[in-house]
Amino acid sequence: MKKLNLFISMLALALALNLTAFGQAKITPMNIKQRTLPNGLRVVSLQDNSSPTVSIHVWYNVGSKDDPQGRSGFAHMFEHMMFKSTKNMKSEMFDRLTEDVGGYNNASTYDDFTNYYEVVPSNYLETLLWAEAERMVNLNVDEKTFSSERDVVKEEFRQRILANPYGMLFGQYLDKLSFTTHPYKRPGIGNLDELQAATVADAESFYKLFYRPDNAVLIVVGDFDEAQFNAWTDKYFGRIKQNKMAIPRVTAVEPDRTAEKRYNETAPNVPFPAVVITYLAPNSKNEDVPALEIAETILAGGESSRLYQELVYKQQIAQEAAFSADIRVDRGLLYFYAIASEGKTAEELEKSLLYELVRIQESPVTAKELAKAKNQLITRTLQEREQNDGKASAIERAIAYQGDANAVNTDIAKLQAVTIADVQRVMKKYFTDKNRVVISYQKGGDDESKK
Amino acid sequence: MKVKSKKEKGKNMSLIMKKSLGLMTAIFAFLLFTFYFVPVKAQEQPPKPSAPRSAKIPAVVEKKLTNGLTVATVERKNVPLVTIEILVKSGAKSEMMDKAGLANLTASMLTKGTKTRTASQIAEQIEFLGGSISAAAGWNNSVVQINVMSDKLDQAMAILSDVVLNPSFKQEELDLLKTQSLDGLTYNLKQPGFLANYVASKYSFGEHPAGGTPDSLNKITAADIANFKTENYTPYNSVLIFTGDINAVRANALAQKFFAKWKVPSTKSKILIGGSTVKPENKSESQLVKRFLVVDLPNSGQASVNYSKNIDKGRVGICSEPQKCDTNEIYFPASALNSVLGGGYSSRLNQEIRIKRGLSYGAGSNFGWRSGKTNFSTATQTKNESAAEVVELVLAEIEKLTNDSVSEAELNPRKLVLTGDFGRDLETTGGLADKVGELYGFYLSTKELNSFIPNVQSTSSAQIKAFAQNYLKGGNIIIVGDYSVFKADLAKRFPNMKIEVIKAEDLDLSTDNLQKAK
Repeated sequence: MKKLNLFISMLALALALNLTAFGQAKITPMNIKQRTLPNGLRVVSLQDNSSPTVSIHVWYNVGSKDDPQGRSGFAHMFEHMMFKSTKNMKSEMFDRLTEDVGGYNNASTYDDFTNYYEVVPSNYLETLLWAEAERMVNLNVDEKTFSSERDVVKEEFRQRILANPYGMLFGQYLDKLSFTTHPYKRPGIGNLDELQAATVADAESFYKLFYRPDNAVLIVVGDFDEAQFNAWTDKYFGRIKQNKMAIPRVTAVEPDRTAEKRYNETAPNVPFPAVVITYLAPNSKNEDVPALEIAETILAGGESSRLYQELVYKQQIAQEAAFSADIRVDRGLLYFYAIASEGKTAEELEKSLLYELVRIQESPVTAKELAKAKNQLITRTLQEREQNDGKASAIERAIAYQGDANAVNTDIAKLQAVTIADVQRVMKKYFTDKNRVVISYQKGGDDESKK
Repeated sequence: MKVKSKKEKGKNMSLIMKKSLGLMTAIFAFLLFTFYFVPVKAQEQPPKPSAPRSAKIPAVVEKKLTNGLTVATVERKNVPLVTIEILVKSGAKSEMMDKAGLANLTASMLTKGTKTRTASQIAEQIEFLGGSISAAAGWNNSVVQINVMSDKLDQAMAILSDVVLNPSFKQEELDLLKTQSLDGLTYNLKQPGFLANYVASKYSFGEHPAGGTPDSLNKITAADIANFKTENYTPYNSVLIFTGDINAVRANALAQKFFAKWKVPSTKSKILIGGSTVKPENKSESQLVKRFLVVDLPNSGQASVNYSKNIDKGRVGICSEPQKCDTNEIYFPASALNSVLGGGYSSRLNQEIRIKRGLSYGAGSNFGWRSGKTNFSTATQTKNESAAEVVELVLAEIEKLTNDSVSEAELNPRKLVLTGDFGRDLETTGGLADKVGELYGFYLSTKELNSFIPNVQSTSSAQIKAFAQNYLKGGNIIIVGDYSVFKADLAKRFPNMKIEVIKAEDLDLSTDNLQKAK
């Protein structure tokens, strides 16, 4: 026993000494290459021949915020259509070219952008470049496929939003009640009525408007030869004509909030009350973002985080308590949320969450908390970079949120530079009473969600 | 809100899969390509692939400490990360129905305090290193896993060995954990997909749910946990696995330093294998559906439709060290069949239910491998209105596998799905640790890492059909959803089937008829 204790105190000492050494962990910079084709397509590549695979992403600067009027959920539903037939490909051909040769493919629609990606054995790179170029310009949309795929998206809505007890809260009310003006107020998954209203003509005009080389970035990471990759890119993407139509952009600006707003919402089959407290965030290029990400980790990163320790572990009023910096291209959200333990109420959760807010505003976080958050973020970065696809995703986020692929190599330094004072400053700046929306959520008899 | 991805599959529906990269097997790739590009009119053809490169399967270096603990190391140096895992070859299979959830609570309690560290200190110390620690039990094994940067190994090992060797099992920690587990269960039991698997564990597989039931969780005491720990967490029943940026010399030195002190109990404990499991009968069934159950969950946002069949052969037979087990002959035909039927996006179930008919966001199938038995199931969620139609579609696909051979043209790409996913799993330190741990858990040789791909490749269509005929029929249908919506359609489509109906609120897995005593 004695011996063990001695060892423990030595460990504590080692940890203490390590404090200064922390933040020095090496993350190898990515040696990315960038160029732009005459038709406006940007190309970013990172050669890494350590495994015989390649990750291909095509990023389009169109997201749920660009859903047409009265067509909430459209950008996402359109993303599903991009796997259907083109002039030279049958429906689901992408699965033949990826899954059938041992790879995979997928796509995601975010508020601000849409990405299509696949990982394949590297000898299939040319094939996939051809196929991605093909669906950038030659997509067919027919009535039958459109209507069947709409049914899939409606099932996706039912699975995510209706079958999950907290689906309505996080997938509908969060955005609907947090924004008044910006199209972020329309949830990306849409709703059953507006999905039903969408037409093939909508799809055709959406495709023409947004799916074009000057609104896209091709990102390729993995096992290839640079000269050969460039030649293939020129061959298949270079022949796509430039589109002269102006690209419509969201210009709406979410105004500052002027007073706290409160909502009580219900859904069937909700086992425990929950609360979400949102604040408007700065946009993704704002210099306060790294400090907010550090604050997010201190508040909610792991079981040693403040919210877990206080609400879940000590007070035992929540089974889950967290904070999210939901940073978007335009002003996004900073939100606290908690799901109650048996017998506890949304009011109790709100009170404790706000107490933690005041605590981090009023007294500085400790040097140890700051160092811990930085270490957690570095490890997370390393984990993401174990595979080619993770590296491609990191590059993609840099493009989407900072408008610059090179940001992938400078982000870590920005996190490292965050100080205790920075954390306190941003927590005071954004988390004001006037900037607050509180949504309480519990089981209710009315069943509005199930139309 | 975040991502909406095109193809998210039903929970736990992929057998060998996560995300990662592959190991592409060239030969089939070529065959395939020519097959799928049958020209349609005078269209432009996609360029053909160039010559493939192959990837290496990493080597496992094994050593045994004098206390019987096996140490396995797989070096992989692409990023400075290491996964360290203690695998204990006992899990929910080693607990009884009335204490269902004991193995998982025991594992979870390890990180909730030791003789010298509180729960908060354990979380604080590992997270200060930038790492994370997880501890949980599945049916077969219990696993404590740490993922950390390779320059923090010593500190991480100190925490890992402390939680495994010196847990304190404090009553107040157990009380909190039980409350959390019960709340989590209450939440999950409101979800049709979870509820269907939960019921199937007893109704179809003769087991108990590995995470426990409200009743069983309430009954578990600190003494039960201490006993389970003593009986099962012994050096000779465990493996210490290192994967990632670490070589075997360093790994073995760390193992020696931190785990040589793990004491061998004076009396060899009796480890229960099979728990309360009812062993399935060994006979092939003539009827496709044996029993049909509806769990009525009013206002459910969707219906979950599942088919489940208890199979009397496992990944391995019941066996234990020192003699190593062999993978059962059904493993590769079953895995290939799963890939055809419900593993991956283009499998038959997803083709028929999602892609062709738009009835679901995803449909899939899974083999839950055990020693001596296997749980086969399919799962999908659909709107309540189409539940009965989806049952028909699922049954048609199962029947088809027992009647018709899978063509080579269909089978070859499905094999590549298996081998591709396998290769990608080996690309991350966590994926590698899982794969190596799975083999140890079944007392299998780690050489199976090297034989997996050739074994998949040599599986024939005839083997798959024979497997389907012998093992797939005679399972149960379970629907969890809003019965009032699909009751009439179900009666119309299955006029001769006896349909049992249980209200979700009356469910009790500890009784024979699955219902609370009235």
